[in-house]
Amino acid sequence: MKRFGLKYLYLLPAMLVLMLVTIYPLVHVVALSLHRKLLIFDISRFVGFANFEFMLGDSRFWTALGNTAYFTLVSVALELAIGLGIALLLNRSFKGRGLMRSVVLLPWAIPTVVSAKMWEWIYNADYGVLNYLLNIDINWLGSPAWALNAAVLMDVWKTTPFVAILLLAALQDIPDDLYRAARVDGAGTLKILQRITLPMILPMIWVVVIFRTLDAFRVFDAVYVLTGGGPAGSSETLSIYAYNLLFQTLQFGYGSAVALSVFICVGLITLVLIRAMRRSEW
Amino acid sequence: MRLLKNLIKYSLLTVCSFSATAGCSSPVGSSRAASTRTIVFKHGKIFGDSGPLKTLLREFEVNNPGVSVLDEELPSSTDEQHQFYVINLQGESASFDVFALDVIWISEFARAGWLRNLSDSLPVAAREDFFSATIDAVTYREQIYALPWVIGAGLLYYRKDLLEKYGFAPPQSWTDVVAAASQITAKESNLHGFVWQGKQYEGLVCNSLEYLWTFGGKVIEDGHSVINSKENINALKMMRSMIYDFHITPEFVTTLTEEPSRRLFGAGRALFMRNWPYAWSLFEQTSSPVYNKVGVTTIPRGPAGESYATLGGWHLGVNKYSRSPELAQKLARFLTSAYAAKKLALGTGHEPTRRSLYKDPELLRKHPFKRKLKDIFEKARPRPVTPYYMMISQVMQREFSAAISRIKTPQHALVDAHDQIEHILAIEKQ
Repeated sequence: MKRFGLKYLYLLPAMLVLMLVTIYPLVHVVALSLHRKLLIFDISRFVGFANFEFMLGDSRFWTALGNTAYFTLVSVALELAIGLGIALLLNRSFKGRGLMRSVVLLPWAIPTVVSAKMWEWIYNADYGVLNYLLNIDINWLGSPAWALNAAVLMDVWKTTPFVAILLLAALQDIPDDLYRAARVDGAGTLKILQRITLPMILPMIWVVVIFRTLDAFRVFDAVYVLTGGGPAGSSETLSIYAYNLLFQTLQFGYGSAVALSVFICVGLITLVLIRAMRRSEW
Repeated sequence: MRLLKNLIKYSLLTVCSFSATAGCSSPVGSSRAASTRTIVFKHGKIFGDSGPLKTLLREFEVNNPGVSVLDEELPSSTDEQHQFYVINLQGESASFDVFALDVIWISEFARAGWLRNLSDSLPVAAREDFFSATIDAVTYREQIYALPWVIGAGLLYYRKDLLEKYGFAPPQSWTDVVAAASQITAKESNLHGFVWQGKQYEGLVCNSLEYLWTFGGKVIEDGHSVINSKENINALKMMRSMIYDFHITPEFVTTLTEEPSRRLFGAGRALFMRNWPYAWSLFEQTSSPVYNKVGVTTIPRGPAGESYATLGGWHLGVNKYSRSPELAQKLARFLTSAYAAKKLALGTGHEPTRRSLYKDPELLRKHPFKRKLKDIFEKARPRPVTPYYMMISQVMQREFSAAISRIKTPQHALVDAHDQIEHILAIEKQ
């Protein structure tokens, strides 16, 4: 009996730290989301689920949710497709392969805010290099049709290397014997890809999809620097909306409710994806 | 495993660059003698020459032995500065003592209890010298919470060489702007007609209010929204027409803030520009492509017959949580004195908040155009004065942006703005 108690005593410090850095803030945010709290006006009272009720009728919230879902879906799909292509190419042997592998990583190594600033110049409608190269005249960051897509493109440029590197690592774990055996059996390149390569790296693909989806759903810095959520909120994501509520207008109650909605969405997405991953393994 | 090595290398690089930036923000005072007291002065990016401010701070150090003043700059974006102050003051941070506040924050911060009461530094008799709009801006419940430092207001910059070449007088009304810009851009190549600040941010509100006011509209009256008016619809229609009907304003105006528009105009790529007074001294440098080619006038008049400019400016407050509040207040008083204001006006081109300086012969000789500014500042209009301004501004930023990027019709945008503003104003009535 005594040894049983000791076991928990040893666990206590770790549990306390965990409580302090993760559970406490989370509980605090949940509590805040149940209050009408306007910091500077000394308004702070319990309102139950009123914030969530208001959220259901808040068109700005639904626009932001739609933008976030669109950003996540399109960017993750593109990153996976292009990343897989790059990984397959880098897995072949050619001269300067080591150098290429390092160079490919560069966009990922640049801090997001720095690359977003860079892309802001690239996208500049008046003298940006993108319009110049394509010989067109598109208002990339200032038109509702393009602003969010411009942010997606930047994110794809920045994060594809991360996807490529993870997939490349998985590709290198596939034993050569498998490929040789397939060749002996007369399988073509496409068949090998379909029957050997993809199934072998499937677990890694799921890891990539989960990581990227969670990251993309919480996107803030890239979009914030590029467009600030504009024009007219047409590129505003949930994180930017929560930020505006919390730090621009100091509505801590409703802002926490919106932030919590991001947390709930991300949690649900993770559950669904992990379930799908388990099922797909066999 | 070259790959893994590279991966680690890059991760380390990223971590290092982060810790390097973190290092910048920690106080540097530790290496100084223990008896030295450090006052941190925080403000946004200084447009123009920052030398005169540094000289003044050194002068303060000389006059106050044992005190050192650290001058720390924040990004030029007003929203980012607001966020910085909110986070730090909410956390009761003492990492800065004196700081520059945008006119629109003062009642908000005062109400939150983050500012030291500075009324004793500005007795009633001393207030006479300041433009009355700035005194209103720094007053909350009859107490003074910031000392007026720099005033600003919207201006119309024009290329006097081009107007002369085509026989136009400086524009007096919005229709004059349209007429001159349409004709001149048709004949000149690589020239935009009229640039202003149209990105979804505070600057868009400043620009739009000038149209609303000159068309005879208002936002709030007697605690209620009056934004959805015929006058305001016509005002937003005019802004839209500049872009899509007259084609004198480029469509990418929806990405422009002050500096990008100033650079365009400064490179000789625009005929007219709406901006703040700071840009003038940059155009008057001999290295500027538009040196000696720029004129300044009031915001054009609209159907209401008057010209109105949005009041801007920065005022110095003292952090309530400062560890040396008296010393901080002393620095704020010194920097807002007539002596310091004149130095900053002469050297940096700042617009002083004191009326008397606009009669100062030395200042007028160096900056003759400041003579013109006095009347503009006397008539400048503050943005809606309410502690809820930051919330109302968020609504206006979004709805005005929707109107000028054609997501909504002006009428639709104003109906939506009206509903949201009423919702915000209702907080007070609960």
